[in-house]
Amino acid sequence: HRQNPGVSHGCQGGCATCSDYNGCLSCKPRLFFFLERNGMRQTGVCLPSCPSGYYGTRSPDINKCTKCKSDCDACFNKNFCTRCKAGFYLYKGRCLESCPEGLGPNDQLMECTTI
Amino acid sequence: APCPTPCRCDGDGGADCSGKGLPAVPAGLSAFTYYLDISMNNITELPASVFRNLPYLEELRLAGNDLAFIHPEALSGLQHLKVLMLQNNQLKTVPSKALKGLHALQSLRLDANHITVVPEDSFEGLLQLRHLWLDDNSLMEVPVAPLSNLPSLQALTLALNRISHIPDSAFANLSSLVVLHLHNNKIKEIGEHCFNGLENLETLDLNYNNLLEFPEAIKALPNLKELGFHSNNIAVIPDGAFSQNPLLRAIHLYDNPLSFVGSTAFRNLSELHSLIVRGASMVLRFPDLNGTENLESLTLTGTKIDTIPASLCEDLKLLRTLDLSYNEIEELPSFQGCTKLEEITLQHNRIKGIQADVFRGLASLRLLDLSRNQIRSIHKDAFMSLTSLTNLDLSSNALLTLPTSGLGGLNQLKLAGNMDMKGSLSAKDLQKLRTLSVPYAYQCCAFGGCDAYLNTNPDQGSKSDGSRKKIMYSPGEEVCEGSVAEDEGERIQLAVHCSPPTGAFKPCEHLLGSWM
Repeated sequence: HRQNPGVSHGCQGGCATCSDYNGCLSCKPRLFFFLERNGMRQTGVCLPSCPSGYYGTRSPDINKCTKCKSDCDACFNKNFCTRCKAGFYLYKGRCLESCPEGLGPNDQLMECTTI
Repeated sequence: APCPTPCRCDGDGGADCSGKGLPAVPAGLSAFTYYLDISMNNITELPASVFRNLPYLEELRLAGNDLAFIHPEALSGLQHLKVLMLQNNQLKTVPSKALKGLHALQSLRLDANHITVVPEDSFEGLLQLRHLWLDDNSLMEVPVAPLSNLPSLQALTLALNRISHIPDSAFANLSSLVVLHLHNNKIKEIGEHCFNGLENLETLDLNYNNLLEFPEAIKALPNLKELGFHSNNIAVIPDGAFSQNPLLRAIHLYDNPLSFVGSTAFRNLSELHSLIVRGASMVLRFPDLNGTENLESLTLTGTKIDTIPASLCEDLKLLRTLDLSYNEIEELPSFQGCTKLEEITLQHNRIKGIQADVFRGLASLRLLDLSRNQIRSIHKDAFMSLTSLTNLDLSSNALLTLPTSGLGGLNQLKLAGNMDMKGSLSAKDLQKLRTLSVPYAYQCCAFGGCDAYLNTNPDQGSKSDGSRKKIMYSPGEEVCEGSVAEDEGERIQLAVHCSPPTGAFKPCEHLLGSWM
């Protein structure tokens, strides 16, 4: 079985396999695989947690990073934000431009809180 | 402000010492540090009061070390800590004593450790905790008592553990919980009241477990919006299954050995946009979708359903894709009310004929698959209003002829397998055709299907007499670019990929004699 000449096993950080050009191709167990963009080029990296704006999904085969919604800076999953982007208030995992009835915008916390 | 080597400090209270092979927490950090990242180092334990000089710390990242022990006093003094990341370490138990004083903590990551024990007093005092990750550990059961201390918890994952059972009232005090992930466990049975108390829950993920029965406990979840139980062992979805979950938008139930779905299971789900039920082989009747009026995509395949209710398009006016393939449908109602329909798939049923009004008014329909039925006749006006249709599959039926009015926009037409259809087709009715399959090769001739004897030199440009030039796509696949204009003035350039291709043994000339 001829090994792919491009893939190396002596890799940095959390990589299990990597290549000079593409960085990490696969990760050591339980780390998240993430594609870092540098201009047109994409480089694979292995992280213990996904970067800001992404959330991690663990599964038996691969742990991967997925983008949060556009109005969200940090999230637990696709539909549950933990920190909204500027201009939005966080309420029960959602980013709102204005708070629901009975709640008021807290500009320090950027959350909807009881009035 | 001081910044110990090899850390990088941003001068604004942020310090990044990650991935430096450090064996211990670096000393000499500024007292005003509010963000400290020491992940991906080689720290095996946290001694007492190791962060005593960092009283303003708000976020502490310790992921990806080899932490196996955290001294009960290790985190003392961190009154402002909001985010604590301990994932990807070697912890075997939740460091409950060390967490006790973290009154401001909102996010706690303990995922990807080796936790088998969650002490009863874990999380006591964490009244602000909103997000808790315990996934990818070795938990054998839901930590019911520890979880009862978390009134503010909104998001919890216990996925990728070894939980096999969920007892009643397992999450009773989690009244703020919005998201609960339990996927990739070994859950075989759940208490009928195991989700009691979760009145704010919106997302429940039970995918990839061993559930044998439909999780009736969801009846306690009035605000549920997304439910996943795909990849389990559930055979029956009972009547009224989701009657207490009127806000459901998405239900993921594929990869279950479904054999029966109660006909009222999917009623009154006005927020549901897509429904996919495959292979419920014992279902006889079409489900009652009254009140599920915002459905845009319906897939219901592999059942014994033989009739589609005439009221379907009164209930589902917003339907865009309809897949009812692999059922036993014999007759089609009129889909006239479903004006937004773009795709209809009815392959592999027992349809015998198409009436005039079946597809009337479907001006948005692009794709129609009626293959592998028993269709003998199609009313001449059946396709009249299908002005957007580009893809029609009638292969493997019993057609004698094809009514072409309304099919002027087709670019793909499949008629192979209609062995009684021997007449030729009229190219001028199908001017935008690009791909055509027909029962007999000679039927390709009307679409420029040339004979191998006429043009042997592919480089020859088209001759002045209008004869055809042969272009070879790939061995055995012939496409002829040529003119089929009937009168001199009009010249239609038609590159039609027609199969079966005419060839040496199936020349076009011998139209009348059959070489069969």
